[in-house]
Amino acid sequence: MKPRILLAIFAVPLALIIAAVPENTTHTFKLTPSQLLEEANSGVQYYSPDEIADMIIKEDPSLQLIDVRNADEFEKFNLPGAMNIPLADILSEDWQAYLDQDVKINIFYSNGTLKSDNAWMITRQLGYENNYVLLGGLNYWVETIMDPAVPGNTSPNEEFAKYDFRKGAGMALGGAAASVGQSTSSSKPPVPIIRSKPKKKRVQGGC
Amino acid sequence: MGPLIAYEIITENTNLFFAFLIGIGFGFVLERAGFSSSRKLVGVFYGYDTVVLKVFFTAGITAMLGLLFFSLFGWIDLDLIYINPTYLYSTIVGGIIMGAGFIIGGFCPGTSICAASIGKIDAMFFVGGIFIGVIIFNESYPLWENFYKAKFMGAPKLSEFLGISDGIMALLFVGMAMAAFWLGERFEKIKKPVVY
Repeated sequence: MKPRILLAIFAVPLALIIAAVPENTTHTFKLTPSQLLEEANSGVQYYSPDEIADMIIKEDPSLQLIDVRNADEFEKFNLPGAMNIPLADILSEDWQAYLDQDVKINIFYSNGTLKSDNAWMITRQLGYENNYVLLGGLNYWVETIMDPAVPGNTSPNEEFAKYDFRKGAGMALGGAAASVGQSTSSSKPPVPIIRSKPKKKRVQGGC
Repeated sequence: MGPLIAYEIITENTNLFFAFLIGIGFGFVLERAGFSSSRKLVGVFYGYDTVVLKVFFTAGITAMLGLLFFSLFGWIDLDLIYINPTYLYSTIVGGIIMGAGFIIGGFCPGTSICAASIGKIDAMFFVGGIFIGVIIFNESYPLWENFYKAKFMGAPKLSEFLGISDGIMALLFVGMAMAAFWLGERFEKIKKPVVY
């Protein structure tokens, strides 16, 4: 049999099959479920309230706080410099440039960590980098920064140092009473300019 | 699962290592198939030997069907496959220069290296010519730059351009290949066989 006929016997039916079946438009996810579980359990996505308070006070330009609660809750209270991306809108095209970038450190926060963890998981599965979660959410933030508990008399010195820092930070950031009704950022912060490069790399070849 | 580099399953260096192994295999098969003979290669332009056409068309449809089936099974994300961007005018002019060089010199760039490595003197001259051409192009690049970058079309696929699905395009392409093979063999019969 001629090689041409042999090739046709294989190639033509395969081409007919591929022409007949619908295209596969599903994209394989960035992480497998077990990898995601491992990351979520290890807690690599968390920034502690102390770290965030420190960054806010030092006006760290790389910090971008993102409030994933709905707009009403955001209006009532938000952290200084935060922008509002409600969890329901997180896949909207408008926000993609904020979430998929490699300039800023995005910190998601909500009242607890449920919504912010959801936001982190979604962006993680989309393959976006530099997205993190405020540990314990706003509840823990109020507990630690705005209204820190006085350590017991027998506590080690580090506890007192931490308390002093938290007290100072709480005062600098408005404290528990002053925080209500605070709306520091009504306008959108500027979009980070440098966007992460699409992961399309290949060594080129040819004849 | 794939592409392996985009998903960081293998590193860029591992990829280069695989490329090295595949490159050796490619060169070996090329040489064994007689592609280091310029007479065989230019036969496709004179019609007495269309093996070049058949080999590269077969490679094309094999890879095409393979990728489409891999995508169907969810083994590879076709959106992450690198596609050479198209600059229409420079592609056309480059194609003409490449084709003319192919007929005059008797090699394409890959096969010239292959032939030079087994000691063919004409291929060594051809490789020297490639380097001279590369240097001239690079040194005079500012003169060409505007033309080189004219009519940028992104990285379109034929199927997108024609507005049909990848599968239909594949079927058409396989049909084209089969027709080309049949025509090629007809030409080979008409032409007097060339001994080389």
